[in-house]
Amino acid sequence: MSNLDLSKISLRPFKLSDVDDFLLWAGDDQVTQNLRWKTCGSREEALAFIRDVCIPHPWRRSICLDDRSIGFVSVYPWSGDDRCKADIGYAVAADYWGQGIATKAVKMAVPQVFNDLSHLVRLQAFTSPENKASQRVLEKAGFLKEGLLRKYTYFKGNIKDSVVFSFLSTDEFPHDDSWK
Amino acid sequence: MERDREESVDLAQISLRPLQLSDVDDLMVWTTDEKVPKFCTWEPYSSKDQGIDFIQNKACEFLWSRAICLNDSAIGFISMTSSSVTDKSRGKSVELGYVLGSKYWSKGIMTYVVKQVKKVAFREFPHLERLEALVDAENVGSQRVLEKAGFHREGVLRKYLFFKGKSRDMVIFSVLSTDLNHQD
Repeated sequence: MSNLDLSKISLRPFKLSDVDDFLLWAGDDQVTQNLRWKTCGSREEALAFIRDVCIPHPWRRSICLDDRSIGFVSVYPWSGDDRCKADIGYAVAADYWGQGIATKAVKMAVPQVFNDLSHLVRLQAFTSPENKASQRVLEKAGFLKEGLLRKYTYFKGNIKDSVVFSFLSTDEFPHDDSWK
Repeated sequence: MERDREESVDLAQISLRPLQLSDVDDLMVWTTDEKVPKFCTWEPYSSKDQGIDFIQNKACEFLWSRAICLNDSAIGFISMTSSSVTDKSRGKSVELGYVLGSKYWSKGIMTYVVKQVKKVAFREFPHLERLEALVDAENVGSQRVLEKAGFHREGVLRKYLFFKGKSRDMVIFSVLSTDLNHQD
């Protein structure tokens, strides 16, 4: 199915000049429905979000296709005694779904994150039980599914179950097999 | 086997009440015992001042807490903490913690107490959806308490916590308000 050359996928920090590409996916309800993000409603909102959230973020990268932003990967470390763990999140523009891009981006991010966050031992991800595509991304990227946490969190006004996954600093880092 | 290890406790003699300053000597029995905080973040106490500080300043910081008493003498402590303290998206969840003097282990006391507190939690906090507990993967005794008290074992969170110099795998358990309708 995939005609896309995954070697064209890269990760880099966000820039203000990404705003128009950013709005294409961050302004799409389909993309943000599984994120805690509010859908961006205007170019001004998108600019403010990149400037005030994405750029100062502890670890957020734009997923780029030929250096144009088509999504993001974010890692948010906990603080204090809990800085041994961090939460990973990601999204890709709807037009690019089903081509292995999120999987490739997460596989690229994992070794970088453990290199950049010195106290990190555990990278964890929480998905909704219905979001099978996202669970497949994590499994293919080498995360271990640990369990279903019932009525775990408030998400956009409702209490939801979460499936929890983890990748440890001691787990084998994913290989990049995008040439296959 | 020593005779006094076989002494069972009449569970009718077990009660819960707020911890008081007059409990400090009893509190020092379990807080100075190395076996007790083995899987806790804290080290055994070395001075009575720590016991007094806990009763006066720390016990009240919990959402809810009680001394576990045998004939009104404190032999342990049980508490609840709101999960929203560490994660603002988790306001309908509460975490349970408990500790018991080692002399009283393996007598069914902790299971009995947790069963009571499980019901108290959903009664005291009517909007509560989820009561959870995290137990060190090596702490089999405590895992059995939660299983016998009707908690669901959801999984093992690998290297979830780091304390006393090492990463800990934590088993996560939960009971939901909706579970209670189907239990005793």
